[in-house]
Amino acid sequence: MSYSTTDQTKHISIFKTLPFHLLIFAGLIFLWEMVNLYGFEDQIQADMIAPRPTNIVLAMIDIFIIDQTVWKHLISTFQKALLGASIGTAIGMGLAISATLSLTFRKYIKPWIILMEATPRIAVGPIFVALLGFGLWAAVALAALVAFFGPFVNTFQGLMEIDEEAEEMFRSMGASRFQTFWKLRFASAMELISAGWKLATASAFGGALVAEFIQASEGMGVLISQYVIMITMDYAFAALLSVTIFGFILFKIMDFLDYRLIFWKNDLLLLKESEKRRKKAGVVS
Amino acid sequence: MAATAKKKAKNSSFGQTVIDGKNVTKIFGETVTALEGADFNIRAGEFISLVGPSGCGKSTLLRLVAGLIEKTSGDLTVNNEVVTKPRTDIGMMFQKAVLLDWRTAIENVLLPSEIQHRITQDDKNKAMASLDLVGLKGFEFHFPKQLSGGMQQRVALARLIQTGANIMLMDEPFGALDEFTRERLNIELERIVGELKATTLFVTHNIQEAIFLADRVLVMTPRPGRIAKIIDVEFDRPRDISIQTSRDFNIIVEEVRDTLGGH
Repeated sequence: MSYSTTDQTKHISIFKTLPFHLLIFAGLIFLWEMVNLYGFEDQIQADMIAPRPTNIVLAMIDIFIIDQTVWKHLISTFQKALLGASIGTAIGMGLAISATLSLTFRKYIKPWIILMEATPRIAVGPIFVALLGFGLWAAVALAALVAFFGPFVNTFQGLMEIDEEAEEMFRSMGASRFQTFWKLRFASAMELISAGWKLATASAFGGALVAEFIQASEGMGVLISQYVIMITMDYAFAALLSVTIFGFILFKIMDFLDYRLIFWKNDLLLLKESEKRRKKAGVVS
Repeated sequence: MAATAKKKAKNSSFGQTVIDGKNVTKIFGETVTALEGADFNIRAGEFISLVGPSGCGKSTLLRLVAGLIEKTSGDLTVNNEVVTKPRTDIGMMFQKAVLLDWRTAIENVLLPSEIQHRITQDDKNKAMASLDLVGLKGFEFHFPKQLSGGMQQRVALARLIQTGANIMLMDEPFGALDEFTRERLNIELERIVGELKATTLFVTHNIQEAIFLADRVLVMTPRPGRIAKIIDVEFDRPRDISIQTSRDFNIIVEEVRDTLGGH
């Protein structure tokens, strides 16, 4: 089992279909606005169930520019997510590397991994909050717990895909186990490992939010809960939309890093990289 | 030169024994006899082709010499030393080029140097020269994905040259290439090996290729893997591709076919 989210064709087709996407989006927003205005008998009820898009935009302007409440919550959630993703990735990769290097370790760790896979990890959230309080660390712990699995599975899978001829070639060159591991196995696994990092970021983001929903002092989960409790649904939607937008930016950054890191999968990058290395070596083409 | 008037005069033109196998046997597991009682004696500078169908033990023989697998019984020495592990004076080439996709051609060629020690300017110069020798001047900074299958095998050959090994073991290196590319690479390999004065063991299941390149052809038969016959090939070097249509060449082809057909 492994995951890969790279989609090379996506980048080209999006420009052709963009006008249609925008049209559909505008249509839906307009419909929503109309439903709020004419679909309910009671305006209070209407604003609670389907707050007007224009009000949501105003709420966005308020929380980002006028009141600026959103920033500290956004920063807090991102801090937890990135910390959790890093810790989860380090643990996941560490375990995966150990499992590929040692058959004994692989055997002993297997039942624990199955046990962890069977447990809905988000359900551990309340326990972490009880253990670590509602500061930063409960959310980081939950984020790390949900983030760990992607890098673990992908790193393991990548390292276990052994090219027999390449291994023989390394051995025939007198390479040590260490050299073969880093220069061949790990490097070959980079594509899957990088996909694992993307998964880790996405799941850590979700994990941090869930921990904040359970109990926390700050973060986007807290902000959304507060707005819902106060029945200011336009603000709740505005906060949700902020999570979407910044989450999207984060994933795009991860996509871009993956795209640059695994440059040999892309013909154009390959061409540029080839030219770069030629220049670096001081050879004129 | 007449292929029929060969045998004795021939072997004297080579140096001392480099690879010596006596009664070499390899059994995988308990029952699979991949190679049985192989006797062979290969001299410095000789080009030996191992030809035979799948399962005749030719790859096994190659891996035994390379020190990648251990023999079950018999004696096997390289430069008078018992083979126990891979040696730096032996270089290998496989059916796949096994290049690292994230490294340029020259970075791939430099891999053996990098494994032995820190890369020096000397290594880099040597790598440029190796690539030049295999006809890849100007492609040093191309990545494997930007090269054709034939060019990738040329990089693999340059990498083998870079090891500085004077014994080259090749396991069907051109087996995955189209006929035209294979033919061109055979001619170049003949030239390069001649220039380097390397001792070569070349595994193939293409009879023409085996004969065209070799000083001696080891004809192998399967179940169990055995050396059925050793045939001398005495054409002057450098060889021209046209010898393949000559009468002498076809006599050897027939001889190989007869040996293989009888099993």
